[in-house]
Amino acid sequence: MMAADSDPESEVFEITDFTTASEWERFISRVEEVLNDWKLIGRAVAKPPEKGEYTTGTWEEKTKEINFADFKFSITHHYLKQETVESEGKEEPEEDALPLAMQDLLCMNNDFPPRAHCLVRWYGVHEFVVISPGTNCEAIISESKCNLLLSSVSISLANTGCQVPVFVQIQQKWRRMYAGECQGPGVRTDFEMVHLRKVPSQYNHLSGLLDVFKSKIGCPLTPLPPVNVAIRFTYVLQDWQQYSWPQQPPDFDALLAGEVGGVEFGKLPFGACEDPISELHLATTWPHLTEGIVVDNDVYSDLDPLQAPQWSVRVRKADNPQCLLGDFLMEFFKLCGRKESTEDILGRNSVEEDGKENSDITHALSKLTEPAAVPIPKLSVTNMVHSARKRIRRHRRVDESPLSNDVLNSILLYLFPDAAVDKPSDNNESKAQQSNPDGKTEQEKDPEDYNLYNQLKSAPSDSLTYRLALCICMVNFYHGGMRAVAHLWQEFVLEMRYRWENNYLIYGLAGGPPDLRCCLLHQKLQMLNCCIERKRARDDGRKSATAEGVRERKVSGCENGRLGPESAGSTATAGGMEVSPGKSWDSWSDSEDEFFECLSDTDELKEAPAEGERSGAKEASKAKPEGRLQPHGKLTLLNSDQPLYIPVTQEPAPMTEDLLEEQSEVLAKLGTSAEGAHLRARMQSACLLSDMESFKAANPGCSLEDFVRWYSPRDYVEEEVTDESGQTVVRGDLSARMKIPGNMWVEAWETAKATPARRQRRLFDDTKEAEKVLHYLAVQKPADLTRHLLPCIIHAAILKEKEEEAAEDIPSVRKAIQQISSLASKLLRHPNPDYKKLEEIINQIMVVEAVIARARSLKAKFGIGKGERGEDAEDLERFVSSLLEEPEVAVIGAGRGPAGSIIHKLFVSAQRLADSTDEAALLAPLEEEAGRGGGGTEDRKPAGGGGVPDFPPPAGREILLRTCVPRPAPYSKALPQRLFCVLMREEFRLAGAFSSDTSFF
Amino acid sequence: MDDDVLTTLKILIIGESGVGKSSLLLRFTDDTFDPELAATIGVDFKVKTIAVDGNRAKLAIWDTAGQERFRTLTPSYYRGAQGVILVYDVTKRDSFSKLENWLNELETYCTRNDLVKMLVGNKIDKDNREVDRNEGLKFARKHSMLFIEASAKTRDGVQCAFEELVEKILQTPGLWESSLQGQGVQLSDQQQSGQGACGGYCSLL
Ligand SMILES: Nc1nc2c(ncn2[C@@H]2O[C@H](COP(=O)(O)OP(=O)(O)O)[C@@H](O)[C@H]2O)c(=O)[nH]1
Ligand SMILES: [Mg+2]
Repeated sequence: MMAADSDPESEVFEITDFTTASEWERFISRVEEVLNDWKLIGRAVAKPPEKGEYTTGTWEEKTKEINFADFKFSITHHYLKQETVESEGKEEPEEDALPLAMQDLLCMNNDFPPRAHCLVRWYGVHEFVVISPGTNCEAIISESKCNLLLSSVSISLANTGCQVPVFVQIQQKWRRMYAGECQGPGVRTDFEMVHLRKVPSQYNHLSGLLDVFKSKIGCPLTPLPPVNVAIRFTYVLQDWQQYSWPQQPPDFDALLAGEVGGVEFGKLPFGACEDPISELHLATTWPHLTEGIVVDNDVYSDLDPLQAPQWSVRVRKADNPQCLLGDFLMEFFKLCGRKESTEDILGRNSVEEDGKENSDITHALSKLTEPAAVPIPKLSVTNMVHSARKRIRRHRRVDESPLSNDVLNSILLYLFPDAAVDKPSDNNESKAQQSNPDGKTEQEKDPEDYNLYNQLKSAPSDSLTYRLALCICMVNFYHGGMRAVAHLWQEFVLEMRYRWENNYLIYGLAGGPPDLRCCLLHQKLQMLNCCIERKRARDDGRKSATAEGVRERKVSGCENGRLGPESAGSTATAGGMEVSPGKSWDSWSDSEDEFFECLSDTDELKEAPAEGERSGAKEASKAKPEGRLQPHGKLTLLNSDQPLYIPVTQEPAPMTEDLLEEQSEVLAKLGTSAEGAHLRARMQSACLLSDMESFKAANPGCSLEDFVRWYSPRDYVEEEVTDESGQTVVRGDLSARMKIPGNMWVEAWETAKATPARRQRRLFDDTKEAEKVLHYLAVQKPADLTRHLLPCIIHAAILKEKEEEAAEDIPSVRKAIQQISSLASKLLRHPNPDYKKLEEIINQIMVVEAVIARARSLKAKFGIGKGERGEDAEDLERFVSSLLEEPEVAVIGAGRGPAGSIIHKLFVSAQRLADSTDEAALLAPLEEEAGRGGGGTEDRKPAGGGGVPDFPPPAGREILLRTCVPRPAPYSKALPQRLFCVLMREEFRLAGAFSSDTSFF
Repeated sequence: MDDDVLTTLKILIIGESGVGKSSLLLRFTDDTFDPELAATIGVDFKVKTIAVDGNRAKLAIWDTAGQERFRTLTPSYYRGAQGVILVYDVTKRDSFSKLENWLNELETYCTRNDLVKMLVGNKIDKDNREVDRNEGLKFARKHSMLFIEASAKTRDGVQCAFEELVEKILQTPGLWESSLQGQGVQLSDQQQSGQGACGGYCSLL
């Protein structure tokens, strides 16, 4: 295989025996194989890289492992992805054209790329291969090994005709030492490197380096063609003292000690706790000098950074700065994985016992309240909290309580602001509906943000559930972790039970049936509210003596409440005449004997028609109509002139998504047989029957046709017919399917008694459903709770970041937030969200936070947002925002532009501060002195003067020398020569590429 | 038999009462037409396994009553549906005019954003047509739905309607396959990755 491209004939007939080949030979053949695999053989056709293409283009790399005996190397191909130029006519490259890498040596389009592999920076190459010791392998240090490797490369290149340069990494990895070679037809470039810890003084300037370069070239020509010079000095600004980082973690204890119900509960913290920008690097560049134009030697230098024609800046970001929102979220998220139950955390008996005592208390309460016609003074949360606390205390000592009384009280007041009113309040119904204390609904502020709950399956941002999520998150972070979470949750569940038992609606939930677009916990709370609503209506009905006046109570007009905006709840109770539009299908509550709106027994006896009258429609026509809601348009009954009335009907049974799931499973399990279908219909006919009974009660003397005209108008077919007298009359009839004998509609109609809704058996058993919800809540572990609330927290975090971004206006962040939202939406709407991916969402949220914090830091440093400045301000803002988005940003006007003069000022200030011996400088008003306008040179301090220099010594100097001269003999081809010099405080590197003509040697 | 079933799809049939929803379903599952079919109470349910493009899919089809009074509870069944068949009666203009309402409801209550919707104009065997085919087409285009005209009575278009719907659902990459890979949020310049040995990319400092 060694001579892979030799003529095929020989391969066929010659058996090549490698059984005796040495390790070295084998290594070489492996390298060749890889070069072959990657199709690096022969000459590629490509355009020289465009200006800036190294930055804008994409770099790619491929890696393979190869062995030298048992020593592992990795071989990597790095290349700038370029469009293949094949389309432009298959012009064969000139026979003796230089390899691309050699052309790169002289190309000036991409000097000092902002971010690139160091070999790209040093040698300008856009495609190369690196062989380096595999991970965990020792470095190649001995000279003989280095030479062995290099000669392997040399042989491989020669054997294959590969024109891509190949480097080998030698010495310890951190030293970034490479040696390499590039071969072309009759030409070769050797890449060599010197690396020292200190800059030798004779090379500490341009003139010294030029000497090295020239002597290395050893060009026989006199005079030498002039050397092309490019220089970049980099200055580092670390001292931001005058803009010390303002953000401290908020003092939450202080907050809580403040007034009750501190508004801060509703807010997520945001921002970095340390300056997320650690350094500013200023690069001053002289891109194109010719030897002799500038002087830079051991006694004098023309290279004044202020005068450099190009300035560019990059910022160094603190690695993972600690950010408040991210920490909050992550701590919350971690709870999802915990196993402990509330009992495990708070003590074995606390929950159970509390429940028992609690029911005792409510029992006592109800005894107290029952006979009283006056509304009960409402207990304040504080009272409730205290009684709850007493109970809990019995089971654990005070100091063991995770949440202090103060903290707990403030939280409960934030969650249940309706309880803050200590005075008796008899209209807590309307209070419970208006979910936002500050008057302005969240919805009015920004409907798109408001409706985010719909996408994230969380809960509206003004809901109790959402607020609970914020509190749980905060309590977890600041007030004792999971124990505090368990404690708060226990209190919350107690409060829910309290409200159920005392008929207080739960504050901060939209009325109506559970909103299936929200998270399950929110639905459960809404369900509980529905139960409270029903129970209260029933209890009120019991108390109220006026029977006929009892109207059906509504949590809200369902048509509005369900489809309409969430917090429009306050309007919902207004129209008592709204049609109750739906029906319950929930027929499995038959164990209960309670009536829908139960009257006291005596009332019922007075009100109810005698038993006999209920039985048939005929007798019922004489009966007194009951439970009418409103006339149905202008329709009259078919058998009389009486208007057709829509009856008051039973409310549909509210359902949470898990109940629905259960129910549809039950229905589906009945199967698809005829009997199954029949049973299914029968199970769902309870509501139809109930409606029929209500209808009969409201319309004495009515027929099934009347009912169908209201209930299923399409099944009453009206036709124009000409009667005997020749007149066209409209004749109506039931549809064919309604007339099928024994069909369920007819069957139900026949069994239906004339009974108004309020005397019917309840279709929805609020007592049972409420207990189910309360039990469900009680058994949720902290981890369950966290999982329930995670969508709300992600929702809150997204809103927070939107808000913070709006203040800064960072397009990339805006886009990122958009992406996070839609990803989160996909994940959270899935029935079983993938928690690994949700963690990724949180990480993304953290990245966004850090970017915003960086933007803030930079804006503060560049004095943006302080007004004034006019047209410069815009440029400056653009400059600052590109600093965030790009690795390196050019400063327009270099040291003389608006950004440049600020940067200059920053350096001057830092310099003065650093010069601590000069106390006067510390005291001097920096702003004034450093505040130069357009950066006129007249302000400049004398370069060699005694004052503090404006800039610190450069942290790094890069000097790039290039020329094209014949080597090794005067009659050789003129070939690219290049030396890249890096001078830093603790590093001196010379990276040279020297080409020579090999044709005649 | 069940083990080679690719997936179970939940499909919902909605539309005004009397447009022929139950009849369409009966035609599809049992290939019969029953003029004596009772008006649906609540929801009904049927299952059928079909093969589309060599994939077997088990369809769990929920048939709903269209009456106003039943309507408020239908949304419960929108949950998790992957496909919806919205039916109108080509001989009853008002059943066509109400389509918009149905779509609004769907928009509000369906829980996935990749739901596939199909519009079916039923009863084309009858001669007192009130809604032109083009009107149906236009409506479907406007709302990005599949469209077909059919007759439960003559079986025209019925099989085809269900097959098309299923095919489309199977083509639509489901939420369950959604992945973060390759669509992660890219925020500006993430800190230089590799360090030290220059395995990654570096600047001067
Ligand atoms: N001529 C004709 N009648 C149909 C067709 N489909 C349904 N019907 C009739 O229309 C009425 C209502 O049908 P049904 O399937 O119960 O409607 P649904 O309420 O939408 O389920 C019944 O009397 C059916 O016999 C059809 O394609 N052609
Ligand atoms: Mg039907």
